[in-house]
Amino acid sequence: MPLKTGERDRCATGLEGLDTILYGGIPRSNTVLLTGSCGTGKTSLALEFLIHGAQKGENSLFVSVTENSEKLLANIIPYKFFDKSLIKSGRLVFVDLPIMYERLGMTKAELSMEEIDLLVAAISDLVTELGTKRLVIDSITSVCYKLKTSEKIRDFILKLGKSLSDLNCTTILVGEVSAESTSYSSFGVEEAIADGIVLMANMERRGDLLRTLQVIKMRGTMHSRAKYVLDLTPMGVLLVPLLKGGSTA
Amino acid sequence: MTLDQMGPQKIAAELSEMPPASAISLQMSVDNYLDVIRGVLDLFANKKGMDTIYVTATISSEAIKRVLQALDIDTSRIYFVDCISHIMMGASAAQQDDHTTLVESPTMLENLMLKVEYLIRRSQSKDKLVVIDSINSLAIHNNNWILSEFLHILVSGLRSREAFTIILSVEEHSTPEINNMVNLVCDHGIRAGKEG
Repeated sequence: MPLKTGERDRCATGLEGLDTILYGGIPRSNTVLLTGSCGTGKTSLALEFLIHGAQKGENSLFVSVTENSEKLLANIIPYKFFDKSLIKSGRLVFVDLPIMYERLGMTKAELSMEEIDLLVAAISDLVTELGTKRLVIDSITSVCYKLKTSEKIRDFILKLGKSLSDLNCTTILVGEVSAESTSYSSFGVEEAIADGIVLMANMERRGDLLRTLQVIKMRGTMHSRAKYVLDLTPMGVLLVPLLKGGSTA
Repeated sequence: MTLDQMGPQKIAAELSEMPPASAISLQMSVDNYLDVIRGVLDLFANKKGMDTIYVTATISSEAIKRVLQALDIDTSRIYFVDCISHIMMGASAAQQDDHTTLVESPTMLENLMLKVEYLIRRSQSKDKLVVIDSINSLAIHNNNWILSEFLHILVSGLRSREAFTIILSVEEHSTPEINNMVNLVCDHGIRAGKEG
């Protein structure tokens, strides 16, 4: 469908419910913070975003920070639509960031400003080399732990976001927050810089724990601000509206 | 339509007259349950080659399977979303199989919708039937406001996917509020209970 004047090209996530919430998908080249506490389904959602992209012929890259990619793939939901040939063909690539740190000689606990530039350049070079159109970094919080100060985190995310946007790459940065957190990010910086924030959470209602998803902001598009309940299934992430009659808020 | 103790043949015939993607309220009597089961699952859905998603909130899926076996009804195309076995009988995830999906509690109405959605997407069948057994049992665990919202979203979604929906209610346990709630989302009503 041709775009209306002024409307940005979309990167359809392939998750039917999320694309509906986003009026067609993430505006292409946006950097989105996908944040939430543990066990809310962030990695599964991010992975599905990449698989759907790879299936559509968009080269997709998963940068794993906390878990090595072999272990990640071993624990992946047995998606009915996941074809391992996507990995063999290079459409879907997994890279472990700790290996990149090692190759770049970043062995210290804290990265310097020069090393931040080097890391941004290394990720951008990889994206260019692979022709990546969809990128996930899981998790950005773990990278931030190596940056320590708000200034360095701001500098890193701004430079990375700008570089990836210039490369027309749509990026999901997976963020981790504690279940009690009222902020959308651990360091309070990531949320301010990202073009979009998708919040995943566990919501308790009368003793039942529901997995929820809510788009908090998304530059370049209108979007629903309602809360949805999700399920991680072999057919992918499914979403239904949260029934308001039972809302605790 | 009011018919005294409508038999399974008559129930199936009534359902067969309904257009695709219809939502039907089927009110039955407690004594009429087996006739309804046979009419809906065997003579209607199985005969038409429909995949059936059976949401059970009244008795466990295991118990219904035993009933179906006793009635000699083919269950190969029937998929259960069981809302009560986990919370009331401690059924574990290990008891789930290709034909049975457990929802932790009948209060988790969103999860119930998600399981139905999953089974709809997984189904290869062109025609699909979703049976809710029963609205009265769900009403024990949920207030009318949330239940009404649930029915509206569920039935609208199923209609958009061209699935056939049957909402069972038990005449003896129904209230005017529940009847109104069901009538609001259904296109047609069938009374298979006692003549009133």
